[in-house]
Amino acid sequence: MANWIIAHANAITIWCAAISTFAIYSVLYAENKFYRFFEHVFIGLASGYSMYITWNEVIYPKWWKLMVNDGQWYWAFAAVLGSMFYFMYSRKHAWVSRVIFGLFMGLGAGGAFREFYQIYFPQIGASMKPVVGGGMSVWDTLNIVIFYVILFASMSYFFFSFDHKSAAIKHTAMAGRWFLMIGFGAMFGATVMGRMTLFIGRFNFLVNDWFPQAKSDWSSGIFRALVSLFALALIVMIVRAIRRPKVKHE
Amino acid sequence: MNIFAKLQNIDRRILYLLVALVIIIPLVRKPARHPRTIFKEVQSAYDTIQAVPNDKLVILSSYFDAGTVAENGPQVEAMMRHLFRKGTKFATVTWDPVGAELVSKIGKQVSGQMHKQYGRDWVDLGYNPGPMYVIVSGMAKDFQKVIKQDKYGTKLADISATKDVKSAKQIGTVIEVTASGTVPVWIAYFNMPNNIPLVYCPTAVMAAEAYPYLDSGQLNGMLNGVIGSAQYETLLGMGNEATYSSAASWALSTAHIFIIVLLIIGNIGYFAANRARGGRRHG
Repeated sequence: MANWIIAHANAITIWCAAISTFAIYSVLYAENKFYRFFEHVFIGLASGYSMYITWNEVIYPKWWKLMVNDGQWYWAFAAVLGSMFYFMYSRKHAWVSRVIFGLFMGLGAGGAFREFYQIYFPQIGASMKPVVGGGMSVWDTLNIVIFYVILFASMSYFFFSFDHKSAAIKHTAMAGRWFLMIGFGAMFGATVMGRMTLFIGRFNFLVNDWFPQAKSDWSSGIFRALVSLFALALIVMIVRAIRRPKVKHE
Repeated sequence: MNIFAKLQNIDRRILYLLVALVIIIPLVRKPARHPRTIFKEVQSAYDTIQAVPNDKLVILSSYFDAGTVAENGPQVEAMMRHLFRKGTKFATVTWDPVGAELVSKIGKQVSGQMHKQYGRDWVDLGYNPGPMYVIVSGMAKDFQKVIKQDKYGTKLADISATKDVKSAKQIGTVIEVTASGTVPVWIAYFNMPNNIPLVYCPTAVMAAEAYPYLDSGQLNGMLNGVIGSAQYETLLGMGNEATYSSAASWALSTAHIFIIVLLIIGNIGYFAANRARGGRRHG
């Protein structure tokens, strides 16, 4: 059995991936148990695998090995600090977890402050470009002017401290709203592209990896019997799903 | 129900099926022709990598998992091909446990195809938890103190590609392939303070937000999703080779055209139905 698995490891992997893909995409037709089962399998696999990798590549070589094998006993204090997080589950001793959470929040806040000025200050500087000079062409100037118009119009939309009664402010804010909508549209377009690419990735696997594998496996009698059984099970599931009374969603 | 009402109420399952069919055709035909239009940011990314001296190490940082491998995987592959072809050594470092295995697999595959040797031409630093903690720990000042060994437990001092890398001075460029918002950490703690170029390879969803970073010079180039990797392959001279990126770029184009057609049909249905209702009301 073990030898058979080793010999067919590639085919088994491809088939498992294909069945999982079909199961996950079956939700596009309707919510079903096949999808739910594989959703839980995915979450379980990802969690288990993450735990294995975290132990194997982080905790063991960077903490356990140093502490136990290399005599660096002071690494034991890391376990004390780490275990403080778990006190959040105790009502009486929850204050212990707050100490370590506070430490991490302080670290995060300090990091955010540095990130803010390192990230946004250069961008503010880069936004304020001269409109003429420096060997700029007419198109460069036009580009910068368009940038300024959009920037000021978009910012004026966010003047919430006073009413937009003046015609100048009102119309500028309205133009800013339109510019913002165009920007969001561009972002949404990119989102569609991203989601579509993920779909393409799975389809590419089905078309170029799974289908050739299925074609070559079809010559085996056992395989044909297994596929027939699977198809029968699928038909029974579909018929049962169709016969089930429909639940009205509000 | 008239034709206009029907246009607005097409069963979503029929639409999914049609989208699937539109996508399958380019994937089956495997077109070799890559995009000929190269975005400015993709060209900048190529020029940045091209300018890295071969005695410096490139960090290929990844933060993605199986969910976005269709977008980030081709970016990693394109970057590895360029670095191998140019003869620049690189180290992969991954911040996601599942992504670590995916990047490792791509590295083994590409290095095998290009007859490159592990340890001499590239190093896999495996999974490390959280870029912020690793970078803030002083990676720029003492690289080997923060990341001591590779994925297989060999000390960096004993690996040919990394033995001379002591600090940020020996780092030529950082390439960040990500599906997460990790790029500010690199900019704030590593690239800007040490004046090291940064090439960004995000998923398409994140790309629109990166343009201010490109304008301010905080990023030195960008590959926008799988289209970016297809354009990058054109720059690598693979413009007529059938790859996943070329097929995906065609599939994306056909899918987008189809979605635009559906939007137009839906809008025609909406306005026509409104007009018909209005006509009856006033008639």
